Amino acid sequence: MKRLLRTIFLVDLFQGLWVTFRNQNPKYIYTEQYPAERPKVAERYRGAPRLNINPDNGETLCIACNLCALACPEALIVVTSERNEATKRKELTTFTYDTSRCMFCGLCEDACPVDALELTQDFEMATFTREGQIWDRQTLEEGPKPTQYKC
Amino acid sequence: MADEQKPGGSDTPPPSGKEAPAPPAKPAAAAHAAPPKPPATMAATPWDSDLSRQIKERFGEAIGETSTYLGQNFVVVKPDSAMSLLEYLKLEADFDYLVDVTAVDWPKRPERFDLVYILYSFSRNERVRVKTHIADGYKPGTAVGVHLAANWLEREVYDMFGIEFAGHPDMRRILLPEEWEGFPLRKDYSILKQDDRWVQENLGIPSGQ
Amino acid sequence: MPEPTFLDSTELVLNMGPQHPSTHGVLRVILKLDGEKVTGTECVIGYLHRGVEKIGENRTYAQFNPYVDRMDYVAAVSNGLGYCLAVEKLLNVEAPPRAQAVRVILTELNRVASHQLWLGTHALDIGAITPVFYCLRDREEALKIFEKYCGARLTTHAFRIGGLLYETYDGFEQDIRAFCDWMDPKLAEYEELLTNNRIWVGRLKGVGILNADECKEYGVTGPVLRAAGVKWDLRKAQPYSGYEKYEFDIPTRENGDTYDRYLVRMEEMRQSVRIMRQAVAAIPDGPIMGKVGKVIKPPVGEAYVSIEAPKGELGYYIVSDGATQPYRLRVRPPSFVNLQALDRMVAGGLIADVVAIIGTLDIVLGEVDR
Repeated sequence: MKRLLRTIFLVDLFQGLWVTFRNQNPKYIYTEQYPAERPKVAERYRGAPRLNINPDNGETLCIACNLCALACPEALIVVTSERNEATKRKELTTFTYDTSRCMFCGLCEDACPVDALELTQDFEMATFTREGQIWDRQTLEEGPKPTQYKC
Repeated sequence: MADEQKPGGSDTPPPSGKEAPAPPAKPAAAAHAAPPKPPATMAATPWDSDLSRQIKERFGEAIGETSTYLGQNFVVVKPDSAMSLLEYLKLEADFDYLVDVTAVDWPKRPERFDLVYILYSFSRNERVRVKTHIADGYKPGTAVGVHLAANWLEREVYDMFGIEFAGHPDMRRILLPEEWEGFPLRKDYSILKQDDRWVQENLGIPSGQ
Repeated sequence: MPEPTFLDSTELVLNMGPQHPSTHGVLRVILKLDGEKVTGTECVIGYLHRGVEKIGENRTYAQFNPYVDRMDYVAAVSNGLGYCLAVEKLLNVEAPPRAQAVRVILTELNRVASHQLWLGTHALDIGAITPVFYCLRDREEALKIFEKYCGARLTTHAFRIGGLLYETYDGFEQDIRAFCDWMDPKLAEYEELLTNNRIWVGRLKGVGILNADECKEYGVTGPVLRAAGVKWDLRKAQPYSGYEKYEFDIPTRENGDTYDRYLVRMEEMRQSVRIMRQAVAAIPDGPIMGKVGKVIKPPVGEAYVSIEAPKGELGYYIVSDGATQPYRLRVRPPSFVNLQALDRMVAGGLIADVVAIIGTLDIVLGEVDR
């Protein structure tokens, strides 16, 4: 008898509907109003690459050891350097990073012995052209500059 | 797909040594300076248990070796007896679950392919590998009669290696398009290679690279 | 055979094409129909084939690690665990206990996330639109933990060969405990929405029956096998990464139909939360990386290692010839082998049942095609 009443009066369906109505409470709204509120990504987030600069003297931290290029599974980093006769050390000249093929795995960041190459929290890296995805040393040091929209 | 292509699209050939990068760059001279040694082989030890003795008793000559490596047992059998060994293992030794069928290409050997069947027994909680060495062009018997799971697994081995299975109900390519030519997982098929004719006919672009 | 209708129709061949919202990826199913009844199916796969096994032969062991996440992209951490365990087996090293405990926590978290996605999309295919919102919203919490730990939500690349790269972040244990406490009422909420709902039961009960013998014949593993009554789980049968230390049950059911698979996966989520609670209460201290050299060069040999991924038995068969790159890297994908059973499960069903069965098999085309 109880089963018959539950079936006729759609008790199971109303139970489900009650869950849905309970979730209408504004405290359960999870929608992020992007781009007005940008998500806060974690500290270890593997986003856009950046070549760090020594804050004291403005020189690059990269020692052109090529370890990042060797570690990359896609072989998309190209590092060129020239030997400085005065200090007898290698100096970085160009550093090319192809973000269109990058899978943001972080192996280059792990391989860098001096923490010069770092994957930052930037994730807004869209460009209008394919060539814009290939970053040279300057773009890597400054970082991507996404258009800021006023909302 | 072009993992040799330099970013920026330059046409200079990639620097040599990009093929096998070893992170980090240790002096590679050590490997070249060593005198030529005989090629290393797997340090397998003989596998001696009830099951291996039963198999040897039943199949005698057809069994090449029964060994174990890192705690995993395998049996090497002649290609003609592979099917009967699988049947024996299923019916008598309770290996009722075919985990995987795959192949390995050793192009320098006359018996080029290593056909590997991995079996598991629920009741014994044990895995065993059955390996056969087959030459290019040999058509091994299909395992579909013994284990239904072999249907797609053998189709994939055909697709990737070109090993046809005699008696398979549906021997055609599974992952690649039907008209594709070439067998990608063979060692003579370069990683940069694609069937350009198929790509041009079906996709309209000169090359997939 | 049904009575011939006055329309005298012949068999219709319909293409449930690669672009379809319910096929969980690019899967093409060619249906042979008699009215709405399906008389035969044929799966055409390969639309997502990327040649992962060939790539494996051209990358070093450490470089291949990120590629592995992209196969079963829903549960990327499990793929990484299987691969790292396989290479560690070849190298004959074991990850230290702390690394093993954290690996277990992340893998179980990933199992919950994978089952949540499964539940959401499966319910969406059946027609219940609400669960997908709740499941994906709740899954965000798990993805946030992955992001805080390793830096990525989907393709996590969480583990390294020999152990872990990253130490757990500050607040890891609190986050996991909070997730476990928060998850239990959520699971009850999903059950309230679905389990007794007459539409849900009507669509799923008796559909896609695959009994235990058929499962074993087809090589089907995972929740599909457990719903058919076989109490088998690789975490209990051949424990890896310290699973023997934790107490958990293996949920099974008898009928082997779609409704049972749903119940088994719901219960598996609960058991995963239970394992996470036990693991996080007792993470040992110590190093997080085992004794693995900078250059990974396993000795000549081969090994097959498999784990209980959320979809089934995920296995890696690696053949090494002593070089820094694997000689042959074979991935045994659970979804590929499970999908073979589609034809048997659909036998005699309707088109709507095909959708339910593809959903219940929990396939990910990235894994089917590699």
